[in-house]
Formats: sequence, structure tokens, C-alpha cells
Amino acid sequence: MNLPPDHPSPAAALTDADLLTRHIAGDQDAFSEIVKRHRDRMWAVALRTLGDPDEAADAVQDAFVSAYRKAESFRGEAAVTTWLHRIVVNACLDRMRRRSVRPLADDELIDVVERDSPLPDHTLERELSMEVSAALKLLPPDQRAALVLVDMMGYSVEDAAAVLGVPAGTVKSRCARGRAKLVPILSHLRNQSDLTRVSSAKGAELRDG
Amino acid sequence: MTGDTHYDLETLAEFAEGLLDDASARGIREHLAVCDPCGEGLADLSTVRELLAAVPTPAMPLGVAMRIDQALAAERTVLIEQPVTLGVVDDDGQVVRKRAARRRWGLPVGMAAAAAVVVGSTAIAANVLLSAQGPTASGPGEGSVAAAPTKTQQRAGTAVAMFASGHNYTSKELSGPLVDYFSAAPGNYGSAEDLDSCVKRRSSQLNRRPIAVDKAQYNGNEATIMVFWKDQVRNTVQVVVVDSACKSLRKAATAAWK
Repeated sequence: MNLPPDHPSPAAALTDADLLTRHIAGDQDAFSEIVKRHRDRMWAVALRTLGDPDEAADAVQDAFVSAYRKAESFRGEAAVTTWLHRIVVNACLDRMRRRSVRPLADDELIDVVERDSPLPDHTLERELSMEVSAALKLLPPDQRAALVLVDMMGYSVEDAAAVLGVPAGTVKSRCARGRAKLVPILSHLRNQSDLTRVSSAKGAELRDG
Repeated sequence: MTGDTHYDLETLAEFAEGLLDDASARGIREHLAVCDPCGEGLADLSTVRELLAAVPTPAMPLGVAMRIDQALAAERTVLIEQPVTLGVVDDDGQVVRKRAARRRWGLPVGMAAAAAVVVGSTAIAANVLLSAQGPTASGPGEGSVAAAPTKTQQRAGTAVAMFASGHNYTSKELSGPLVDYFSAAPGNYGSAEDLDSCVKRRSSQLNRRPIAVDKAQYNGNEATIMVFWKDQVRNTVQVVVVDSACKSLRKAATAAWK
């Protein structure tokens, strides 16, 4: 069932869907290429959704292993990336729900939770990351996941809806409620950087629109 | 809603997302024309979006990427070795195995990688992705790893190096490096199911499986030493020391592994 070795096709030239087909057919390198292409994005989604690098590593590993195993359940109606995102986000949500059932109370855990994220050491960015990460943890998992995909990763509401398996309106509503909760928590960052310079113009546009 | 009354942030956020009906949206627009605080609220919501967008995107750390590659290599090994039994795809697309599959990817890195090298050249059949393992015996020294995984164990793998050394550990020894104390022969590996309830409890609190457990002593007291990965990239482990009543004998601490 393996592909003929004398006709190697450069993996980099193939689409995700081709690679998945090859993986299902027994090509041992195809899935590695998929992982290589998407691991950074999957990592970003997991790290931001969970807010903890150890948990994020476990979640992404679970997700890729699960995708590897159930590749045949991919039916091609959605993009491979959407499918992968869905598996990663679900792995994260599972973890968050498990964690909320069994809160981390012991002194053993403090150390784990306090670990810094491995971010570039730009003070401002780092501070922003930490503040946002801490603020996101105060939101319910559903709202957090929606905000990570739409506001942080920059996916369209429609793509986020496909990943989360809910209607677009639900994504919008989760984002709206999440943002409303974040306003008071993040208000102290408002004037801290030049990231926000355009905000009043945008606000005015919405207001007058 | 004019004068002293203002819209709450959630309503304004819904307005900004276009979630409100025409009449409500018109009402808010009229209100915003005369109400500065609500205009500021709307601007604040917009600022939140920009702050979220401004957070830098981290790349996956190399150690995590390697760990995933190894997990997938081990997965491949397991799938190649196992006789094929089709699983069942349930509602959410998850493949439900008819029988429990033995998962090898909880093994220490070296062992899993070595196993992958040995059988890595074997062809993989088309439908092994849905395969599950029958009660087939595996190679010598590996049988002890077998366990019927629960969902959690499947996630975490099943092999734990278990010892009953009786060694009297000092604080200094437990600050690492620990690999020499806990480098097990294959025969030392046991299944996560064999762990006692205390170890299981600590594992679930930390949401990970220990890599090694030693029934030993700590500063002359009977103790169980549990070692968990903290960060494989940084080569650090979390060391938990408890007494026979599962009470911590000292604060959990980080130690060097190698």
C-alpha cells in the first residue's frame, strides 16, 4: 500500500488534503509534513486557550496523535486546517472542563501554574501577553476559545464557527460577551502602548456607522 | 435610554457585532450621538480587540515539537505491530476502539525512539489507522507496559518506572540530577493502573502521569518520591515527596533531570 519509492513526490508541493490521503494510504512521512506546517498555529491556539505551556504541550500532543489515529474520519467537507483546529480546540476545552471539575488547589501546583510562557523577551510584549493571558483565564472556556480564534488568531467568524462547531451568531455573541468582560480587566493597558492609537477612530466609526 | 441611563458593555458589544435587531441598533446609535460615556465604552471594546490582536504569536518550542514527533513515531510503531481490528466512528468523529489498544508513547523517549527504529521500515496497511490491538503478546520486556487504557491513561501513556529502593534521599539529592536514581531497566516499568491511590491522586492534581515513583525514605522518614516532567525542554522535573498518609513531606520542588 506504500507509494512506489521510485516516484517520490516532494511533500512540500502537496496540499493538506493530499497529504492526509497519503497518510491514510500508508505514507509514513505525510503526517509529519502536516504537523510541520501547522504546529506553530496549533501551539498558539492551545497556549492562548489554556494559558499554560505544560497544558498546551499536552493538549497539542493529544490532538496530533488523535488526528493521526482518526484521519479516516476526515471527510473533506472542511479544510484540513479547520479539522485540525477543531481537534486542538476540543482537546483544550476538555482539559479546561476537567480542570474546573478538579481545581488545582495543592501547593504543588503553584509552581506549575506560575511558569513563564516561552516568549520573546520584549518587555512590553511580554507584559501584554501575561496580562491578556491572565485576563482570559477569568472568562468561561467557550468565550475564551472564541476570542482566541477571532481576536487573537485573526480568523473570520465563519472559520471560527466551523472550528467550534456552532453557528456564526453564537461565535459573535461569545466574542461580544467576552470582550465586555475584558474591558474593565484590561483597561489599565489602554494607554500603555501605541497599540491602541487607532481605537478611538474605530470606535467613532462604529458609533456613527 | 438617554440622560443618566447608559447601555452596559455587553449590549454595546452586541451592537458592535451587529447582533441586535434594527430597532435596538437605531436606538443605540441615537443614544451614542449624545452620550460620551457610551461612546467611550464602545471605544474600550474596540481597544480590547486590538490588545488581543497585538499579543505576539509564539512559535512552538523545539522541545514540544520533538515530543510530538516522538509520540507520533511511537504511535506508528504501535499501529504497525498490531493486528487490525476496525474501530467504530461515533457521533463526534472519534474513533472508538472495540478493544483497548496498548499505547507505547508513554515510554521514556529513548525506548520509544529505539522501538521506532527497529520496526520503522515495516509497511503500514491502509486501515491500520483504525486498528486496535488484540491481546497479542509483544516482545520480551515490554509485556509489563500493557494496560487497558482509560481515556486519561491513553492521553498520558501507561508506563511508569517503579522502584522500592528504600534509599534515604536527602534534599540535596532530590534537587537533581535525578536520572541516575530513576533510570529503570524495562522490567521496572509498570502500568499506571498499578500506581497506588496516593500517586494517582497527585497525578490527577498535576494532570500528568509520573515518570518514576520510588518507595523510599526522605530524611529518614518513610516516603514516596514521585517525579513528574515539568519541562522536557529545560530538562526539569517536578519532585513530590509524600509520607505514607499521602501528606507532603516538603513543598514540591523543581529538580534537574539529567
